[in-house]
Amino acid sequence: MNTNQEIKRSTLILDNREPKVSEPEKEGKYLKRILTSGLMSLVLIFVIIYTLPSTVLSLKSLIEYATIVSLVIFLFVLLIRYFGILLLAYLYINEYTFKSSTGFYPFVSIIVPVYNEEKVVADSIKSLLELNYSNYEIIVVNDGSTDKTKEVAAQLVGYQKGRYSDIKVSLIDKPNGGKSRALNAGIRYSKAEIVLCMDGDSQLSPDSVRLAVRHFVNPEIGAVAGNVKVINRGKFYTDLQALEYIEGLNMARSAQSFVRLVNIIPGPLGLFRKKAVEEAGYYSSDTFAEDADLTLKILANGWKIYYEPNSISFTEAPAKLQQLLKQRYRWTRGILQSIRKHKKLMVNPTINFGDTITLWIMFYEGLIWPVMNIMANLFFIVAALAFGFTSLIFFWWAGLALLDLITALYCVAVEKEEFRLVWYALVYRMFFILVIDICKAMSTVEEFLGIRMTWGKLERLGTAKA
Amino acid sequence: MELIPILSTIILVATISTFLLAIGAYILYKVREAKGQQASAPVPSTIRAELLTPAEMQAEIQQPEHKIAPQPIYIEPQPVPVYQQRPVYVQQPIMQRAQMGPQYTTQPKQYAEPGYNDVKNYPQSKTDTKFLKYTSEGYVSPSKEDKTSGALKWK
Repeated sequence: MNTNQEIKRSTLILDNREPKVSEPEKEGKYLKRILTSGLMSLVLIFVIIYTLPSTVLSLKSLIEYATIVSLVIFLFVLLIRYFGILLLAYLYINEYTFKSSTGFYPFVSIIVPVYNEEKVVADSIKSLLELNYSNYEIIVVNDGSTDKTKEVAAQLVGYQKGRYSDIKVSLIDKPNGGKSRALNAGIRYSKAEIVLCMDGDSQLSPDSVRLAVRHFVNPEIGAVAGNVKVINRGKFYTDLQALEYIEGLNMARSAQSFVRLVNIIPGPLGLFRKKAVEEAGYYSSDTFAEDADLTLKILANGWKIYYEPNSISFTEAPAKLQQLLKQRYRWTRGILQSIRKHKKLMVNPTINFGDTITLWIMFYEGLIWPVMNIMANLFFIVAALAFGFTSLIFFWWAGLALLDLITALYCVAVEKEEFRLVWYALVYRMFFILVIDICKAMSTVEEFLGIRMTWGKLERLGTAKA
Repeated sequence: MELIPILSTIILVATISTFLLAIGAYILYKVREAKGQQASAPVPSTIRAELLTPAEMQAEIQQPEHKIAPQPIYIEPQPVPVYQQRPVYVQQPIMQRAQMGPQYTTQPKQYAEPGYNDVKNYPQSKTDTKFLKYTSEGYVSPSKEDKTSGALKWK
């Protein structure tokens, strides 16, 4: 690396203001809402009990019928969801396979926000210099790190030798203000038409930029979502997450991409048309899922969002259960905050129909589905313990495991992933998804009650080497 | 003993354990989080940040109005063009190495530093050849053409 270059230091004045948003509702209002909901539920139960003698049903049979109907609905929704996603994902892959290359290579600014990433920032930047693209620059934004991140990044400032050309590496050192403000600083400083936002601990595959930017030849495309893969595999939780990223996230993203309505551009790799970001008012700090929030704003402005499966970002996944819960807690609350922020779009499809559909899907995935899954599992536990229907839970597990196994096999084949991950599908639904769904449900309750939360930075081990 | 009851029991125990593990881990996480919470400070409207960039590009940052010529500048063609070696950022050699297609945008304009606008002084090919005659020897001025040579010229 070329380090003997003259580096100029200057001062930037950054706009640190947030776009004005509605005030978060007070806890008292939530309490009022809970009391109202509880009262309405009691009235409903009273009506059922009062009118029951006038029907042919007894209380016991009512519970039995209600349970059977609920299970049938659950299974129906599960199968529709699964095969719907599979079908759209298949159609997307089919369309993608025959997509021609465009030869469109605009100038790209890669924004790398870093906060206490001294172990991984150098490898991250080195991986960016290996990109199979020539027309780009790297802007590192140090978000007030308290370790030696700034010193490590400052050593890389200058014109560094890239694969095809010398790449300009700049550093913006700003006081701590969160990832969204760091990204905004980088985007505002950039003069490129396309900006690539990533995480400081992520590494991009050599073809990630070249393959993603070609979609911007379509003037309707406002952003392109990348494919995130787990780099620190080999442990139980990280392998399960590797499967989840392939089966749970990427397949859904492929399905959404078929209709150009990807609902979350992942933090580790997202390319944006700068104009689309400017129109959306940049990243906001008022939610804990700034990527989901920006994606919804871009969609609301009428832009289309595409998913590029071969534009890959390798990222470290939490290796411990505590860290995993911390991450999912933040994701869930962040997504719920984003949904609440855009609730007008949710209830009014005339503003942007695509956004309305997207928001309802997010609401279903984030709130309804976890509750349904938990309730189904609880039902089988109660049926086994109280009524002795132990075999029911086995058949339930066998059915879901078979479905997951087939899906995992398809996804692993499509993404040319490690075959050994397929076997994790056997415990994926019964263990991993159940843990995640319980965390989601708890987070939802906390969000509903308006309990204060912090960002909670994940500890990085520096296993993501270039 | 049959296999299904054994598997059912295993899955039942695993499911109950997962419930307990998830709830326990969540409570533990909340307890740990509660210990490390700090009050948030007010956010200023503007903040100062330090920018570190390579020295060559500094002039460009401070004088952005010189980067891109808003309108094409028409300059009289110089009689003898002086071709100086300047580090003009042209994508062509890179494209050849990477086996890439043509570029649709005019992005190289962004790289041009103030001094690089001098490239517009070079005579344009159309202007140069407008009043020249194309012969088998290439472009020649009509006045300098040797009409008496008698050799067959391809037109």
